[in-house]
Amino acid sequence: MPQKRIAIAGGGRVGRRAANLLDDRGHDVVVIEDDPEQVGLLEEEHVATVISGDATRPSILSQVGLDRVDSLAALTDETGTNLAICMTAAHLRPNLRTVMRSEYDVGDEYDGMVDEVVFTEAAGARAAVNLIERDVQTLESVTGDLDILQIEVVEGAPVAGRTLEEVSLPRGSLVVSGADGDHTARSDTRLEVGETYIVAVEPAVANEVVNLFQT
Amino acid sequence: MSQREPAAELGLLDATMIGMGAMIGAGIFVLTGLAAEISGPAAILVFVLNGVVTAFTGLCYAELASSIPKSGGGYAFVREIFDDLPSFVMGWMLWFAYMIAGALYALGFAPNFLEFLHVYGFVPPPGEVGAVTLGVLPVGIPAKVALAFAAVLLLVTVNALSTAASGSIETIFTATKVTILLVFVAFGFLSAGSGGETSFTFQNFDPLFQEGKGAFSILPAMGLTFIAFEGYDLITTVTEEVENPRENIPKAIFFSLAVTVLVYILVVTVAIGTLGAGGLAENGEAGIAVAATSFMPENLPVIKNGGAIIVFGAIFSTITALNAVVIASSRVAFAMGREDQLPTSVGNIHHRYGTPFVAILTSAVVMLMSVGLPTKSAGNMSSLFFLLSFIIVNGAVIKLRRERPDMNRPYEIPYYPIPPLMGILLNLVLTVVLVDYLLRTDPLALVLSVAWILLGVVFYFAYFRETGEEAPGEPTTATTTDQTGPEGAGETTGGND
Repeated sequence: MPQKRIAIAGGGRVGRRAANLLDDRGHDVVVIEDDPEQVGLLEEEHVATVISGDATRPSILSQVGLDRVDSLAALTDETGTNLAICMTAAHLRPNLRTVMRSEYDVGDEYDGMVDEVVFTEAAGARAAVNLIERDVQTLESVTGDLDILQIEVVEGAPVAGRTLEEVSLPRGSLVVSGADGDHTARSDTRLEVGETYIVAVEPAVANEVVNLFQT
Repeated sequence: MSQREPAAELGLLDATMIGMGAMIGAGIFVLTGLAAEISGPAAILVFVLNGVVTAFTGLCYAELASSIPKSGGGYAFVREIFDDLPSFVMGWMLWFAYMIAGALYALGFAPNFLEFLHVYGFVPPPGEVGAVTLGVLPVGIPAKVALAFAAVLLLVTVNALSTAASGSIETIFTATKVTILLVFVAFGFLSAGSGGETSFTFQNFDPLFQEGKGAFSILPAMGLTFIAFEGYDLITTVTEEVENPRENIPKAIFFSLAVTVLVYILVVTVAIGTLGAGGLAENGEAGIAVAATSFMPENLPVIKNGGAIIVFGAIFSTITALNAVVIASSRVAFAMGREDQLPTSVGNIHHRYGTPFVAILTSAVVMLMSVGLPTKSAGNMSSLFFLLSFIIVNGAVIKLRRERPDMNRPYEIPYYPIPPLMGILLNLVLTVVLVDYLLRTDPLALVLSVAWILLGVVFYFAYFRETGEEAPGEPTTATTTDQTGPEGAGETTGGND
């Protein structure tokens, strides 16, 4: 898989978690963070290159190497700041894909200014509801550290066209569903190009699994 | 669906040992004799001064590795800040440096292995072992080349089929090598004053410089043996597996360098003090082993000749160092594949073995072709390419400081910018001296070196004209994966397996 380079503005709880998940999948992550305490935490985890400074300033933002970045996610806890960062970045490097974190459910209000809006509080609330009302749970919060990934097999990937019997996935990973999504995977399930599979992975092996499915 | 164990986490000790393991091996066993040939007893200074030169680059690696969490050695750091072409050339050179180092270690392994067989009377002395004749080929292949070829083939196969040969097993290997060398040093010093022909004496260091030659005569020997000091790059090819890397990687770099230089100084002192620079030079790649055979006690139970321990140490060291560079070369190629600077299939792991299969096989081809080179040429070429790569890494430190002043640097080089500037200057001096020396004595190595760089540049423009039509930085992976050459294509379309 040609590695993606992703810039994250804001290395707080959300940004740091996102950096870890992206690193697990084998991407190259750069985080911009102003607060020395948060920088210290990022440093300890050693999953991303860190630029210390205010991400709304072009002189700081450009130090992530914008010309090589595939996406920029502004994940600070202030919507206005995030919007400013995304727009500054898009101004410095037109066509850059931007993702903005919002404190409110903003609907399609920012379409045209940023590419995606993520309302992280809604995801948090959903997780809380899952614990309060335990009978029905949405998938994303039931698994602890285990990630349930939907991965498409791309042309030329190491596992493309092979059955599960033929491939050997790292310990800590499990293909859950077959291509049709109606059946669980079996040893003769074939991993077809262009089809999407549900795969459960532990963070330590996510990178390897993504590499096997995505070239 | 069978499952494999994921790679283990490495601690400070493991990381230090990986660095030492790569350095202690060929450098000391194979090149000491050659260094003594060029510079006489001053070979001791060669190892001391190279330690100083390389420490500057070591500092740069510590700063870069602590702030950029990527596994790909010097290539990954250069890729972070330099444009496509310079980073490609850097990766291309570093990759080659490791592959040629592999050939060098294999060529160092072979004569020591023959010496080992000789000690136990299986074969005549190394110089008299004839050629191996293959039924198919009309020409005879020298035993040394055949053995080196077999060693590379064995380790490539092991590493292509399993990830188990890497990681913490290296710690045991390195500890064994260092112990054997310390045994050598201890017996060497103990032989002082016993009156034998090869007892340790400081008279062997007088005069320090060979007659008619000044202090500068040691510079070519420094260039040749530079390969013995590149271990910190290897540490940074595994950063992602090291625990608490922010602290452990700079420490591992410094510890491995300090301990290695100390071991070198002791070993070279003993080797010259016992056998003398002349005797060491005569025995070339097996110099240390021959020195050991001369003073180690004989008539020991089981192993009989004490010298055999050292010969075994030489075999073991060269073979484990070979293992380390087989892994390292494939990691550099793998990183280049992941960055889309080599065909994508090079950056893939194998669907069954979990190894960077294509990266290992590609590296193997070059290594196997290079074992036909004279040992000295292999040493010269890999040293030359490490020197060139390290100049660029030092440059990357300066460029990053200027262009990304706010990048977080958990470890900062003291007295910046003196260390990277000194690193560039000293490595450049050694490069120039080495090139000049090659012009006079080893034009083949120089021609092959230039040819490799040209081949890289031609490949770069051919490859990127074919696949790089899209706007730079645009992540249109579809176009690049479609045209990644023979390895990537064909395999996916069949689906009949």
